[in-house]
Amino acid sequence: MSRQRTDWVAVRGVVGKDLRAVRRSKSVVIPMLAVPVLLMIVLPAVIGLSARATEGVGVDRLLTSIPGDLAEPILSLPEREQLIVLVNGYLLAPLFLIVPLMVSAVLAADAFAGEKERKTLESLLHSPIRARDLFVAKFLTAFLPAVAVSWLGFVAFAIVTNTIAWPVMHRMFVPTKLWMVMILWVAPAVATLGLSVMVRVSARTSTSQEANQLGGAVILPLIFLAVGQSTGLLLVDTPVAIAIGAVIWAVALVLLRGGVKRFTRDALVAQV
Amino acid sequence: MTTGLTRQFPGGVGLDSLSIDVAPGEVLALLGPNGAGKTTTVRLLNGVLAPDAGSATVLGLDPVTAGDELRARTGVLTEHAGLDDRLTARENLRYAAMVRNLRGPAIESRIEELLHRFGMTERADRLVRGASTGQRKRLGLARALLHDPDVLFLDEPTSGLDPTATRDVVELIGSLASEHGRTIVLATHFLGEAGRLADRMAVLDRGSLIAFGRPDDLAAELWDGMECDLDLGGSPSAAAIDAANAVSGVRDTTPHARGITIRVSTPDVVAGVVRSLVAHQVDVHAAVPRPPTLEDVYFEIEARRALETPTTTPPPTGPPAPPPMRKRVRT
Repeated sequence: MSRQRTDWVAVRGVVGKDLRAVRRSKSVVIPMLAVPVLLMIVLPAVIGLSARATEGVGVDRLLTSIPGDLAEPILSLPEREQLIVLVNGYLLAPLFLIVPLMVSAVLAADAFAGEKERKTLESLLHSPIRARDLFVAKFLTAFLPAVAVSWLGFVAFAIVTNTIAWPVMHRMFVPTKLWMVMILWVAPAVATLGLSVMVRVSARTSTSQEANQLGGAVILPLIFLAVGQSTGLLLVDTPVAIAIGAVIWAVALVLLRGGVKRFTRDALVAQV
Repeated sequence: MTTGLTRQFPGGVGLDSLSIDVAPGEVLALLGPNGAGKTTTVRLLNGVLAPDAGSATVLGLDPVTAGDELRARTGVLTEHAGLDDRLTARENLRYAAMVRNLRGPAIESRIEELLHRFGMTERADRLVRGASTGQRKRLGLARALLHDPDVLFLDEPTSGLDPTATRDVVELIGSLASEHGRTIVLATHFLGEAGRLADRMAVLDRGSLIAFGRPDDLAAELWDGMECDLDLGGSPSAAAIDAANAVSGVRDTTPHARGITIRVSTPDVVAGVVRSLVAHQVDVHAAVPRPPTLEDVYFEIEARRALETPTTTPPPTGPPAPPPMRKRVRT
């Protein structure tokens, strides 16, 4: 049987509907925006302002407790720059992998479980949208905001960090080539990994709350594994960072493909 | 058309060997109590569920192998209407159109036309959240008709509606049935609407088909002859009842406050009864045939089914009793 092409009009219809509905819910939108603003803009701004306000915050003791590969380049900097570079240049890196997932996990958990709760799933399943396209649409509903938060958040982070740190640093110190690899290549891979699992869980649970609980338990170890290595990712060579991203992509796409293959109307409607 | 269509669920049989056929342009009522298998039948016919055994053909397509193609030509109103409360009425229709790969000026004017037809123009740009159940059902019907489907599946279209909204929705469905030879499968446990709309009925009970056909044909199988109400202007005298019973072809008489209900073998017997009553100085104000309604047929089938269902107590010995006749219930 020939492989049918994705119906992008139908996919856009589902994604557009879901995102429009989300935009109308303040209780969803406010936490979605507040967390990234706090962690990606306010926190680096506070660090930068602290560094500007003091002659130099001693980070020597902190640097002795982190890997030498990370400590050495920072110790070679002037004392006033050390705090900014350590925190904003390296330690905040995991946030750019975790925050998009935190933001979009709600949407992924809602993908099918929310349709069941709102009693809208059955009418959707009676429409001609292909099961594969429906799964892809639900994944994109969570993935697109995750990537948007990651990329826009990073742009805002870079502007705020460089602007506030300018009097201390007198140069732009983010983004570096490795930061770009992490944001453009690794972050979407981690989002795909986590959200594809979450959407699959959502298809098997009755409520968004269940999906959140169960999905969180499944993806958290994977995410911690990925983000635990993210600061180290900023210390490796660019090709190595790209290779690490490729491995995460491979795992994520296998999971996504598996989700698409196992996703059937029959399994879903039997729970309605 | 279905042949031996069967679907099991972990909790038991959803549908057991259903074999029915529906002609194009026909309205089929799927009747039965909750859990009878009506919704399962709709899901199987529209390719949303896959059967464990048996097969179905809808619009010449196999719902299992050509489900997407089939669903492009069918429209469904589910029991809960399935509208997104967070969108406006118009947005719900636009969303449904996009999911069907329909867009452009033609579909926009179709949406306007349907909103107008279903009395939703004033509510078109308000969130569905505040809409009444009747408005939701009307909007659900509009959505089901967006692509002018050849087959319409309506699952409990009047559940939760007040009498006025029920009448409105039934009238709408009636008008849909007469359009373009559209086939309608109406799954319901409300017999009034089925009686008004259905050409044929399929009675399901715990997943099994227990009766299928035109209400008149099923009635003929269930009851011998026909009933007729004779309005005598008051309670009948014993002489009047005797006069009616004396006519050949009268099977049964039931007196009531305004006269007698007679059961006769053929319609022409009624004329003989009227003549006999008049001959006995009894005024006959009216003679009104009472063909059994779909409701009568359904309850009779259900009652007989209940008596046929084996119980845990041992059956009585002796010859089997004839099937009991249940008094009709009229509304």
